[in-house]
Amino acid sequence: MEKENEIVEKLKDFLKEKLVRATVPKKRRIFIYIKKDALKDAMKYLVKDLKFKHLSTITGVDLGGEIEVIYHLAHEGSIVLSIRLTVSEKNPSIPTITDLIPGAVLYEREVHDLLGVNFEGHPDLSPLVLPEEWPQGVYPLRKEHELEHLREITSKKSKREERN
Amino acid sequence: MSYGSIIKVPFGPQHPALKEPGNFLFEVDGEIVVDVKPRIGYNHRGVEKAFELRTYIQNIYLAERICGICSDAHTTCYTQAIEELLGVEAPPRARYIRVIIAELERIHSHALWVGIAAHEIGFDTLFMYVWRDRETVLDMFEMISGNRIHYAMNTIGGVRRDIHADMVSKIKKGLDLLEKRLKYYLNVVQTEQTILKRAVGVGILKPKDAVDLCAVGPTLRASGIKNDVRVDDPYAAYDEIAFNVITHDGCDVLSRILVRCEEMLESIKIIRYGLDSMPEGIIRVQVPMKVPQGEVVSRVEAPRGELIHYAKSNGTTKPERYKVRSPTLGNIPALCKMLLGGYVADIPIVLAGIDPCFACMDRMAFVDVKKNKEWVWTMQQLRRKYAKK
Amino acid sequence: MNLFKWARTKSPWIIHFNTGGCNGCDIELTAALTPRFDLERFGILLEGSPRHADVLVVTGPVTLQVKDRLVRIYEQMPEPKHVIATGTCAISGAPFKECYNVHGGIDIVLPVDAYVPGCPPKPEAIIDGISKLIQKIKKE
Repeated sequence: MEKENEIVEKLKDFLKEKLVRATVPKKRRIFIYIKKDALKDAMKYLVKDLKFKHLSTITGVDLGGEIEVIYHLAHEGSIVLSIRLTVSEKNPSIPTITDLIPGAVLYEREVHDLLGVNFEGHPDLSPLVLPEEWPQGVYPLRKEHELEHLREITSKKSKREERN
Repeated sequence: MSYGSIIKVPFGPQHPALKEPGNFLFEVDGEIVVDVKPRIGYNHRGVEKAFELRTYIQNIYLAERICGICSDAHTTCYTQAIEELLGVEAPPRARYIRVIIAELERIHSHALWVGIAAHEIGFDTLFMYVWRDRETVLDMFEMISGNRIHYAMNTIGGVRRDIHADMVSKIKKGLDLLEKRLKYYLNVVQTEQTILKRAVGVGILKPKDAVDLCAVGPTLRASGIKNDVRVDDPYAAYDEIAFNVITHDGCDVLSRILVRCEEMLESIKIIRYGLDSMPEGIIRVQVPMKVPQGEVVSRVEAPRGELIHYAKSNGTTKPERYKVRSPTLGNIPALCKMLLGGYVADIPIVLAGIDPCFACMDRMAFVDVKKNKEWVWTMQQLRRKYAKK
Repeated sequence: MNLFKWARTKSPWIIHFNTGGCNGCDIELTAALTPRFDLERFGILLEGSPRHADVLVVTGPVTLQVKDRLVRIYEQMPEPKHVIATGTCAISGAPFKECYNVHGGIDIVLPVDAYVPGCPPKPEAIIDGISKLIQKIKKE
């Protein structure tokens, strides 16, 4: 756990008050909670200085009113650092990290499509995961959409096709 | 040289080289691929939403059916995530059984892949040979679990079936046969001109690109980078087992074939060790239905690379959020990089080179990397590259 | 029995299409073609193009995006044509039945001649399904 605590200390020194919370639940796992505006700096520091080069994935979670975005970074394959921030559901917008980690391009689009998070500066955020006819503004992984509601959208679509 | 006009060649979703639906739009200049536009959402089912609506027990079966080839990797990842949330640990014997099943699955998956790769380059003899020998592994699965695919071995708190002494001797016998055959195939792959002509120097992925584009698994290891979740972040009983991480630095399709062939031999060693040193005892512990509040990141080395699950629980019998990222999705940006600048005729083998598994990947995403300037080459760059040759 | 029917029942050519399944049925279908089971000894050949095929073997539930493509492949096949639904997903949607991006079994899109249950069905079951379909064609 020494290495993990060392990384947390370094991050605390670098981010200061912008780091809200840091926990080390077990060996090789770190959870960091930062303020929204510190994302770019924190990412730069993690990728360039602390060698967290591998981005495993980006998770989006609907907390109700707020959306949490979690970046899972790996340190040469061993330590997994999950860095998280929250954005409001009304205007979910955060800067892209594709300039730092080119491999993030798909993960950001995935989160954009399913939770409606807008990644500023992303090269292409056109609709992706869902079919072309999927209605705009319906993000299936948001909690406000019950499954029945989503099924209704699906069946409406097939009925419309039948009529045509 | 350039032929001036750019032609668009669609590939899929129904294509003999793709056993699953996926659509790739290639822009070609003469024989050279200048742009790739994958569109692979045909398998998107919305599994992550379904996870939130089912109980933890039901979700084991759903996790199993994310993918038919690496089903055990998904359930291992799922069960160890939930076990961590519950604060229970699988008994030692169960952890060894998980390793044995995972490695058998790796052999079956890699053998399947070697066959498909041989088929893509028109070497059907090897395809038939490898698939015949792969049946040995499937017979073992049938003996242990009763099913050839979807073995349903893992459950929260351990495994569902034990490996008995009479099975051990049968598995060992099968492994001896497999080892002999795999060594023969390794020799074939390294010497047979049919393969060498099509695989050497094709689909180059440089180590720096592999890291930048976050490639995983054999694709990354074939670019000379030592990275394996089994060693870096050991789970199940991997911390008690010594084995080599296979790397090759050819960065091409041949390296990917060699990495997988040698990994199969390494897996045989791991299984033998596991069968010999498996401790006696119970194979599962009882767990409560309700999972306390918490969150966890779980990682597993699936046959295709790093598999990562993220689980968030809210104290009920159903998860709050469950996220799956399969290795194929991680490899798609790297795949696009490999295809660019290559020949049209090499598309199937390069595509097969990452061992794509759309069932895993499409539960979430399809891709359009056209506008990402990071790895789209300009025509000038391409011409310069090929003028040199 | 006329010549065409005789030829068709002796050697039906199949085309395989995954409509969003987990891959398990696909590899079992491919395994049915390899030496252990050897589907080709019955004259059954896996074809790449729908225009050459007599039987469409479908695996997996129908996802929203794949539906149009499935219908198009079916339309491209020459008459008379037959459909086999392989695996529980293709029959009813199985574990993905309630997912938002899935229609359900393929019989809501295409007429199905034979169902092969199982998750996944064993290669023997797939061979049995195809042979039963041949019996059915003979009686037509």
